[in-house]
Amino acid sequence: MADFSWTTQSPLKKALVPGRHGAAGATAGVTLTEMRDIVLMQVMARRGKAAETAKAAKKLFGVEPPVSPKAVSGKGATLVWSGPDQFTVFAPRSDEAAQLEAMTKAFAGSASLSDQCDGRCLIRVSGPRARDAIAKFSSLDLHDSVFPVGSSANTSVDHTAVNFWRDANGADGTPVYSMLVFTSFADSLWHVILDSSLEYGVEASSARAA
Amino acid sequence: MRIACPFCGERENGEFTYLGDASPKRPNFAIDGGEVVEDAFYDYVYLRDNVAGVMREYWYHGGGCRSWLVAERNTVTHEFISVKAAPGAGAAKPAQAGE
Ligand SMILES: [Zn+2]
Repeated sequence: MADFSWTTQSPLKKALVPGRHGAAGATAGVTLTEMRDIVLMQVMARRGKAAETAKAAKKLFGVEPPVSPKAVSGKGATLVWSGPDQFTVFAPRSDEAAQLEAMTKAFAGSASLSDQCDGRCLIRVSGPRARDAIAKFSSLDLHDSVFPVGSSANTSVDHTAVNFWRDANGADGTPVYSMLVFTSFADSLWHVILDSSLEYGVEASSARAA
Repeated sequence: MRIACPFCGERENGEFTYLGDASPKRPNFAIDGGEVVEDAFYDYVYLRDNVAGVMREYWYHGGGCRSWLVAERNTVTHEFISVKAAPGAGAAKPAQAGE
């Protein structure tokens, strides 16, 4: 039998060309960053065990998981609402096996877990014109009064499921949005986002999640 | 058309799938039994009222929180009167019998 080994690579290997794209100008209107080295876990409370699941999350991450479309940051992880009695844990990868093991132990008996580490790709869209670019492909209302920092949404972009949330503003005070997309659709969605952003000038890169 | 998901808020209708009349109740073999239940099953599976006005319908928010919803909608005006979680949506509450 032939030897076969898996090689980990980014789903944006072809699509993401680092550097400046689109309109020229002193500053890029939109910054696109693929956040690499991430740990993702879908946590779904079992029937009647939502309170127990919340308690386990609080013990592990120091925060209760959100019960409405919000993203809350806790100890070493962000908990993003993804439906009634379920949420996604997003964490920068340090020791993946240990991180997964800690969650497996913490939620044993109260919630079902689904490892999404290699199933999703995290794209961060930020900058002064990020909202204008996103408005072209998303039907979400991203006005500050409706979608402030810490908001999240499960939505569809180009008929594809996207977990969407708003991070803390950037150093320049402009909004930062995280889009969690299926790995197999990442290439396609990257082009959608890039094309929508070109007229504002784009700075593209990848970065280690921190 | 925009639909107010009780979990996600107002969203475009493209995120939802229509699943039809929410009124039919599944017959119970243990209680009804025999030929009666066969007739009842025929009704339950095949027969639907064609309502011009307000009816209760199942909708599925597949492009969002993936929850089953029960909506009251006016089939003439497309106005949504209410949208609630279908019984059993979410894990916090045990499923309600009968629906
Ligand atoms: Zn929803």
